[in-house]
Amino acid sequence: MATARPVAAAAPVRRRRSLAPYLFMSPGLVLFVAFLLVPMCYALWLSLRGFRVSGPGPFGVREETFVGLDNYVAAVTSRDFLEGFGRLAVYGLIAVPLTLGLALLFALLLDATTTRAKRFSRTAIFVPYAVPGVIASLLWGFLYLPTTSPFSDVTQALGLGTIPFLSGTSLYGSVANIAIWGGVGFNMIIIYTSLRGIPVEIQEAARIDGASELQVALRVKVPLVVPALVLTGLFALIGTLQVYGEPTTLQPMTTSISQTWVPLMTIYRDAFTRDDLPLAAAASVLLAVGTLVVSVLLLRTTQRRAFGEG
Amino acid sequence: MAALDTATTPAPAPVRGRPHPRRPRAKVLPTAVLLLGALYCLVPVAWVLVASTKSRGELFSTFTFAPGTGLLENLRDLFAYGDGAFPLWAANSLVFAGVGAVLSTLVSTAFGYALAKYDFPGRNAIFYAVLGGVLLPGITLAIPQYLLMTKIGLAGTYWSVLLPSIISPFGIYLSRVYAGAAVPDETMEAARIDGAGEWRTFTAIGLPMLLPGMVTVFMLQFVGIWNNFLLPFVMLSDERHYPLTVGLYTLLAKGSGEPALYSLAIVGAAVSIVPLIALLLLLQRFWRVDLVSGGLKG
Amino acid sequence: MRTRTTAVLAACALALSLGACSSGDEPAAADGPITLDYWAWGTAQDGMVEAWNASHPDVQVRKTDAGGSTDSSAKLLTATRAGDAPDVAVVQYDTLPAMIVGGVALDISEHTDGVAEEFTDGVWSQVEFDGAVYGIPQDVGPQAMVYNEQRFAELGISVPTTWEEFRTAAEQVRAKDPESTLATFAPGEFGAFAAMAQQAGSQWWTVDGDTWTVDIDDETSREVAAYWEDLVDRGVIDAEPLLTPEWNAKLAAGKVLSWPSALWANGVINGVVPEQAGQWALAPFPQWEPGNSAVSFQGGSAVVVTTSSEHPEEAAEFAKWINTSPEGSAAQISAGQYPASLSGQELTLQSEPPVQSPQQEDYWEVAQRIAGETVPEVSWGPNVNVANSAFQDAFNEAVTEGTSFTDALAATQEAVVADMEKSGFTVDAG
Repeated sequence: MATARPVAAAAPVRRRRSLAPYLFMSPGLVLFVAFLLVPMCYALWLSLRGFRVSGPGPFGVREETFVGLDNYVAAVTSRDFLEGFGRLAVYGLIAVPLTLGLALLFALLLDATTTRAKRFSRTAIFVPYAVPGVIASLLWGFLYLPTTSPFSDVTQALGLGTIPFLSGTSLYGSVANIAIWGGVGFNMIIIYTSLRGIPVEIQEAARIDGASELQVALRVKVPLVVPALVLTGLFALIGTLQVYGEPTTLQPMTTSISQTWVPLMTIYRDAFTRDDLPLAAAASVLLAVGTLVVSVLLLRTTQRRAFGEG
Repeated sequence: MAALDTATTPAPAPVRGRPHPRRPRAKVLPTAVLLLGALYCLVPVAWVLVASTKSRGELFSTFTFAPGTGLLENLRDLFAYGDGAFPLWAANSLVFAGVGAVLSTLVSTAFGYALAKYDFPGRNAIFYAVLGGVLLPGITLAIPQYLLMTKIGLAGTYWSVLLPSIISPFGIYLSRVYAGAAVPDETMEAARIDGAGEWRTFTAIGLPMLLPGMVTVFMLQFVGIWNNFLLPFVMLSDERHYPLTVGLYTLLAKGSGEPALYSLAIVGAAVSIVPLIALLLLLQRFWRVDLVSGGLKG
Repeated sequence: MRTRTTAVLAACALALSLGACSSGDEPAAADGPITLDYWAWGTAQDGMVEAWNASHPDVQVRKTDAGGSTDSSAKLLTATRAGDAPDVAVVQYDTLPAMIVGGVALDISEHTDGVAEEFTDGVWSQVEFDGAVYGIPQDVGPQAMVYNEQRFAELGISVPTTWEEFRTAAEQVRAKDPESTLATFAPGEFGAFAAMAQQAGSQWWTVDGDTWTVDIDDETSREVAAYWEDLVDRGVIDAEPLLTPEWNAKLAAGKVLSWPSALWANGVINGVVPEQAGQWALAPFPQWEPGNSAVSFQGGSAVVVTTSSEHPEEAAEFAKWINTSPEGSAAQISAGQYPASLSGQELTLQSEPPVQSPQQEDYWEVAQRIAGETVPEVSWGPNVNVANSAFQDAFNEAVTEGTSFTDALAATQEAVVADMEKSGFTVDAG
């Protein structure tokens, strides 16, 4: 997997100074092992343990013992955990395409020659990136709740009643909207910078051939930014699997979001509310492995070289 | 990026005998769509700014976009809350994000530079381990990280949030991509022939070339740490160590005997996002977000 | 590839060795004042801690706000496992058994001679189990109803004394002002529902020797569930979460007329609608049987000494002092909390009515009457946290889907029993 250039040029250098790259990496490696690798192994170990009560008295004493794969069996047979994946799928089907679609649309509009107010729009669309997820969810929560929502104010004034943002099927859209709002700007910038990298001559050639601005966008620009779309798609997908903050912040405001609405919420509940760290660790391991598998599959099916070489 | 906007105006080209206008006529629909997108992104921000001017009574009783009369009082309450807890949280956030992002940038840059510019045993293994790290959900790490931190006696301290924030697999990945593209092997080789050691080659030749990439990694990490909630929430228990996200969350989630402090949380949210937006706008011309997708141009 | 495998193995070995050697050793303070860490929440704490620190220069207490009951108890469990817990902590009564099982709370019976007399038997039974004392009661939440007097008068509603009258009053409110609701049924409020079932005579957890009996869906509790299901189903009262921006806005608009909860409710209402001070009053809780006056507790908490504490004796002294001394009680009352100690409750009678109800001069008398009629004993099981979260999800779903409340109760029972069996308790399921 080595790049061709350094291999050819730097071979003798490499032998002479073999320690240098390790020294450059050493601070990062130490931190990587300490805060990623070791916790991961610890989670693996924890997932094979369990707390069991034994001893005298009504409350007994809790002891940690080895329980084998019990926690994994409990996780994969848990209705809460599995249903969470179902809801996650619905949420993802809304959030991922819309985040990418809107990001692409805005990037193309920014890049188009026929639009105005570009700098303002680009900045405005990028602003939500600076708003922490917890705060964004709170803000949208206020905008959703019938009594405090300006949207419902308008519909009520029109005699249409309030909008049930946080119940029924619109709930999925409402939760996804928070992620879309926070994510469009960043993805738009990635795609937009990719668009700016397309040589002007290619676009001009298409225009001279009589292509409209729309045709240039669809036939010339979009195919050339597919790599950027794959990357943003991957981020959106990972983000989807890790959805946690938005539904958690909205949860106290509605009866429609359970504490196990998405898998990470189940993990959090098991770890902190139910004090079953081993079960949470097992579910985390499953989720991490799942994320890895889905990501690899996505990259394989779209573009093998996307992550391989720089 | 701001500079790029005006830099590449296409040269006028005659089309079928008709003079092509230097700048095509604006079309209403695309511009309207773009402005609609801008509006969509600004509405909640506008809402929080308006809501922060409302007194506690007005918050729940007046039209949502009507400005209130309580801004000064809210600000006073906010800064007085918990013996000046809010300014402390802001300072903590600044320390976590500022120090964390600087250290993270340095660590990632050196790491990425080594991965991109050297060939050594274990290089691919390390690179794929880093890529795997990008995909790990934060929450799966937060719990074991907390347990391990307590074992070494760091839980609840600044270090427990700062140290894990420094390691950023994504930052390393970006640095590797950027170093691969920005530092030519020939330049490094020339420095070596001139007698520069590897460290000198890195600091004198590599770092200046890597600067734009470093600014980007810094910004991404700064925003990432600033917005992080779960790690400090799990690690910290002393209110005086909280960053803004956790502090504002606790304002909203006080226990049963205490009412939700919505108006404080709202004005706090408004005050905390304004500087970050300003920082982003200020720095956005220096960022090179294209390097995020740069690795994919193949 | 080999390098990676080795690294992973080495890292795992490190993790295992770290996991094996758990030590919570902190260097004990040699000379000078001892500092105790105290996790607590609520507005009353600062005053109590200040009073202690002023009179105890050798033992200084540092208070940390670790979030409300749920967040705080979750953190206590994790911190205890890590040996990082504070010396003293506030724990809600219903969570105390989970804290005992989790090894958080320390048996302090050797330091509590004679303290039991400071409290009623019912209150003391919340912290004493089989002769072991796991905490000192701080505040109690005898069930009570706060109501918007002004709106009651406007709509011509009289204060209900029984749940039957409550039903009629709810119908009247709906009929006279369809936008208003007499009260809100909050499906997430496990504590409120449990207290209503206890008031009706349910015992959700009982223990005989080492065998637990779980009775969450007993006949009495099902009747309570059916009562509320009927009101919610017919649209007579609203069902939604409490203290959301939505609910607060309705409260501010005078559309929520009462809150059957507990004595602490007055302070909460004050936090949301301070502009309605003078409109709100306190009344005894509605009864299931006319002529009865028994109420249970909703909420309320004790101060526990943790197993991690290096200074259990001083910590126990602190817990006793803030909850039974006149200085501690005074600080508590001025912040609107209702003390658990008899002397503290006595002290309230000399106090002004709280700020939300300045017009109700007999406020504290009413409060004392209510507190004197609490059911003798309420016992909580070792996994109230599981019951709480299962209850929330089941009742939220029932309200959202319009399904049966009694089924939701059965689902809660099932989750609680399954969890206890998994943990290794001997359970006789109702």
